[in-house]
Amino acid sequence: MRPAVAVVDDASVIRESIAILMSEIQVVAAVPTVEELMRRSPPADLVVLDLHLANAAQPDVRQGIAAIRALTARGYRVCVYSQEERRFVLAACIAAGAHGIVSKSLSAAAAQQNFVEVAGGGTVIPHSVIGLLEVLVRRKAITVLTERQRQVLHGRARGFSYGQLARHLFTGESTLRGYWKDITETLSDYLTSATPAEIEHALGLAPGDLLEFWPDGETSANWWRTASG
Amino acid sequence: MPRPAANLESPPTGPTGRRRTLRLRVARNRFGGLPTTTAGVERAFTVFIAGVRLGTVAQMVPTLYPGMQSSPRPGLYLTTWLAGAVAALTVSVASLVRGRALGPVPLLADFALASAVMLVGPLVVGSEDRVGTWVGFQPGYALSVIITAVGPRSPVVPVIGLLAVIGSYAVHVSGATVEVLGLTTILGNELTFVVYALVCRMLSTYMRRIARDADTSRAVAAELARREEERRAQVLMHNGVAVMRLLTEPNLSDEARVRLLEHAEVELRQMRAYLSREPSPGTTTSSAGPDLHRSQADAASLADAVRRTCARFRDLPIELALDLGTGIRMTSRKIEVVTRALDSLLLNIREHAKAELVVVHLDADPDGSWILTVNDNGSGFDTTSTTQGVGLREVVVGELEREGYAVEVTSRVGDGTTATIMYAAQAVPTQPGKRPRAAS
Repeated sequence: MRPAVAVVDDASVIRESIAILMSEIQVVAAVPTVEELMRRSPPADLVVLDLHLANAAQPDVRQGIAAIRALTARGYRVCVYSQEERRFVLAACIAAGAHGIVSKSLSAAAAQQNFVEVAGGGTVIPHSVIGLLEVLVRRKAITVLTERQRQVLHGRARGFSYGQLARHLFTGESTLRGYWKDITETLSDYLTSATPAEIEHALGLAPGDLLEFWPDGETSANWWRTASG
Repeated sequence: MPRPAANLESPPTGPTGRRRTLRLRVARNRFGGLPTTTAGVERAFTVFIAGVRLGTVAQMVPTLYPGMQSSPRPGLYLTTWLAGAVAALTVSVASLVRGRALGPVPLLADFALASAVMLVGPLVVGSEDRVGTWVGFQPGYALSVIITAVGPRSPVVPVIGLLAVIGSYAVHVSGATVEVLGLTTILGNELTFVVYALVCRMLSTYMRRIARDADTSRAVAAELARREEERRAQVLMHNGVAVMRLLTEPNLSDEARVRLLEHAEVELRQMRAYLSREPSPGTTTSSAGPDLHRSQADAASLADAVRRTCARFRDLPIELALDLGTGIRMTSRKIEVVTRALDSLLLNIREHAKAELVVVHLDADPDGSWILTVNDNGSGFDTTSTTQGVGLREVVVGELEREGYAVEVTSRVGDGTTATIMYAAQAVPTQPGKRPRAAS
């Protein structure tokens, strides 16, 4: 059964093309704003959300982390679909409750595969954020991973495929996917619960460096944190 | 006014003293400056021959007049003395001029003359002077011929000459007036002929062998240096050639062409630097050691260098994960080797892999060990059947291993390629999924 997906993107081409290009998902709504989606409240396994939604036609709409929080508060699983590449912004999206982050530079097939995975309960974390999480694990900010999970994280952070990891760790690919699902959930939970100060300390950043990115920060000047209006 | 006592330690002063010092120094340098080659050893033999032969003549000079006075045939005594002296002078000059010792025929003549002089001895030297005096100079002269018979490689002529000298000496002393002690002297002299002949023969043979081995070693070293230079040039040219090849692609996008031109400029600078540097003999680098990565005046950040290198490949989907290795500092020479290898790896990916994701990951341990991993999810290749090109074989594996790094390239068709460059402060075995154990 195809997962039901709602698309929120200010670009009409993307809204209309996803249903055509991605046959393995069922697009139940394609809207330009979070507000409209919440008004409609369609049942959906996943909301594919563009981070940057404000434009000249809709300057005051909710976007960024505020949009993620509003949708997750309604019980939606959110997968960010964006051109954003700054890793602290992406990590902040995970911290705000997104279960997946997919780059718009990926091929349609790869993006669709990631949407299906997130809709099915999985977590898709971009590689740059995996690198950050490996640093947090290495520096003992995250201590709940088992030795096997650490080995899997170690390999994934280096870009090893499940096949490569399976050969080196002498285990099956499906087992590794299970490990990875647990790992990403654990890391996602950590980002959601940790304070910016804890993460700054673990990453060796100066106090306050993360405030402009993080959901609980007090600065509200940046578009990805709140609605601009 | 009393003159101060001469100081033996002080160098000679005044024009004469300076000239003498200069001559001594020149003589010492000329002899010490002989090359340690086969030709040099032969030249050293000629100096040895001239020294021994002329030294013997010098020993004969003081007894010439007393010898003639005591000789029953002074004219014949003088004739034999002059024959020996002229022969010694001739052999010395001929050897020095030719630059090598006498060959078999002249040596045979030399031995013949020495034996003849000795056989005439009983006629010109009184019986009481034939043993133990330089009035009977003939045995001493014959010994100098034996010692300097180092020319021929074959032992035939020296052996014949030695036997002739031994026999003629027996004739020489046959009518001598000797006591018991004199008999032991005769026996000792005979043994001296034999022992000196053997020792000089062994020594000359051994010196020639050393010189030959040195020549062979030099030839091998020169060949290795030539190959090393050839390899360095090959390594240097590889990336430049790859960039040029990519630039000739007809379907190259404008953006990719701009990137490649930037890259070509970097390669051009490196080639110019190579061409303008001082020539270096043979291998040029030492192995990597712990001190090379820390606390050096010209140390730079490896992570920064990796970031700069990757920036030249903005057309590739590269993900950088360098946080764990930001503390690594190395000399610019070491960094150049690593970044050149990284450059080559990324060129290979650009040219062959068709990858959707390239992860460049740097990891370090507190003990100074580090691992740089370059992984792509491209087409990969069969490592068992594909011959690695110059890029992977020389630039990546060969060059890095020579610098003391461990390198591992793994690939599988359809499952990407992973290149791992490892520097171990101590022996650090590693494999994907397992971090190197930090030193306790």
